[in-house]
Amino acid sequence: MIRLSKVSKTYRTDKVETLALKDVDLHVKKGEFVAMMGPSGCGKSTLLNLIGLLDRPGQGSIEVEGIPITRYRDKQVAKLRNSTFGFIFQSFHLIPDLRVIDNVELPLLYRKMAAGERRRVAREALEKVGLGARMDHYPNQLSGGQQQRVAIARAIVGQPQVLLADEPTGNLDSKMGEEVMDILLKLNEEGTTVVMVTHDEREARRTSRIVRVFDGQLVA
Amino acid sequence: MFRNYLLTAWKVFMRRKLFTAINLLCIVLTLVVLMVIASLLETAFHPSGVEGRSDRFLQVFTIRMDGHEDGHRSTSPLGYKLIEKYLKPMPGVERVAAVTLPASVSVYQGPNVSELQMRHADADYWKVLDFRLLAGRLPTAADDAAGRMIAVLNASSARRLFPGAPKAAIGQRIDVGGQMFEVVGVVEDAMHLNAYADIWAPISTFTSSDYRNELTGMFVALVMAERSADIARIRDQVAQIARGVVADDPKEWKRIYFWADGKLDLFARILTNSDDVPDSGAGKLLAGITVAMIVFMLLPALNLVNLNTGRIMERRSEIGVRKAFGATSSQLAVQLVIENVLLCLAGGLIALLATAGVLAWLESADLIPYLKVELNLAVFGWGMLIATVFGLLSGVLPAWKMSRLDPVHALKGAI
Repeated sequence: MIRLSKVSKTYRTDKVETLALKDVDLHVKKGEFVAMMGPSGCGKSTLLNLIGLLDRPGQGSIEVEGIPITRYRDKQVAKLRNSTFGFIFQSFHLIPDLRVIDNVELPLLYRKMAAGERRRVAREALEKVGLGARMDHYPNQLSGGQQQRVAIARAIVGQPQVLLADEPTGNLDSKMGEEVMDILLKLNEEGTTVVMVTHDEREARRTSRIVRVFDGQLVA
Repeated sequence: MFRNYLLTAWKVFMRRKLFTAINLLCIVLTLVVLMVIASLLETAFHPSGVEGRSDRFLQVFTIRMDGHEDGHRSTSPLGYKLIEKYLKPMPGVERVAAVTLPASVSVYQGPNVSELQMRHADADYWKVLDFRLLAGRLPTAADDAAGRMIAVLNASSARRLFPGAPKAAIGQRIDVGGQMFEVVGVVEDAMHLNAYADIWAPISTFTSSDYRNELTGMFVALVMAERSADIARIRDQVAQIARGVVADDPKEWKRIYFWADGKLDLFARILTNSDDVPDSGAGKLLAGITVAMIVFMLLPALNLVNLNTGRIMERRSEIGVRKAFGATSSQLAVQLVIENVLLCLAGGLIALLATAGVLAWLESADLIPYLKVELNLAVFGWGMLIATVFGLLSGVLPAWKMSRLDPVHALKGAI
């Protein structure tokens, strides 16, 4: 599904150069649930961003379904992100000005889809995460767990092949974290490939594969 | 997509009410100033009101005579002889009117003295300009030929001298600087270039006929074409005539210049002191006004750029999310620019209402006598165009800058 070959990433500021990833080879197969673990600052999120095409590698190549995307232009990358990936962030990143339903519709805005159809698909996604009754609420009217479920609905509304979750339970209590984890597992069972960054060993053990990152390199 | 842009823009404006208000105020103030100026210029230079036919006539305002000695020069209004001998006989024109510039006169009514602005005009003057007659009649060629001591008042002066309806003034006699005139007509107030006056009398009512023998004096000629398409030809014709005019004292004056100008050309010629060349300098004047307007718009636009950059920076997380879910840089830039243009258009609409208020105040405050200025569709269109340009000017740069943010940094809230 996604293949990273000899990928390195260095962040530069005026004075400091930080090597975030070094010669990483990773193959995420279709239908896998991969958990990425490692200490803070080891490069997990950088790796997730590279997989999701939010960032570009300094060296090495990335292939999505066998197609190298290193030379893709901004517009092509945006289209590929829209059609292939769904993102779930630790701090939800819902747009506070928009209602829940409008937040969920967001990925569909960048596709050619009629407004009525968008609304129907978004409603279905919200019902899937158990928030069908909260469509007209604003994010700040929901609990943390509910907000993360809205974020999951937004991530899956476009039926992406890959879900990328960066510490999706990091800001939630254990009960809500459990609920979110259950939803991710169910989506994976339905065929969606999931790559998740987590610090929680218990959550990681529920996935099909654990990838450990240390000092910018894969160690297991 | 566009509906969504509108929805997002509305939500953003409502969330940051103070910012929206400051932005609107900035836009409204700028546009009100521009639109008031545009309305005044439109009234001054475009055919409207009493000078509704100004696209069909040119005015010859001044005559310049250069002496044989360097720097010996005279510039003054025309004398009646110049109009009668050289301009009135012009072929291919509908008519040539002669009228004096307004001069201050004292009107006596028993113990009361009123200071009025008076013009002497021939009968053609009343046919070139489109005065609205409120009572009585306008002077005719017969009045002029017979030297009848008659006068026309404007509505304000009629009301001041003879309170009541305009017709109350008709048939009344007034003492103007020792001459007795019978009021035969009352016309609506007008402030236009060639129409502005309180009282008019026929040319033949001057106390002396010396004016008939002078090349320079206090007259203006209005040359009316049969069709507006003839204007360019008439302009050339007048320039040709000017070259053939011989000064009364050729030993003193070697060269004479006068030009038939439209109102804008006339204004430009006076401002640029171009009274010895055919080019009035209107092109340069318009270019100068355009540059001044752009600079005037640019300063608040730069301020808006600054405000907008701050506003958009607050939304970098949203920009990151939108990018993550498939928005391209250009889609985001369009969204941000549309938000700004909408804000400016809203400012434009408010500015239109405010401009109408300011113009109404200007009319009532009597800062410019007899001012009648309307906010017409052309000014409305220009106002909205200015608002759109303003929105683009102040929105494109921050929108472009912010749309280039890389999603990872945007999501982290960094730049």
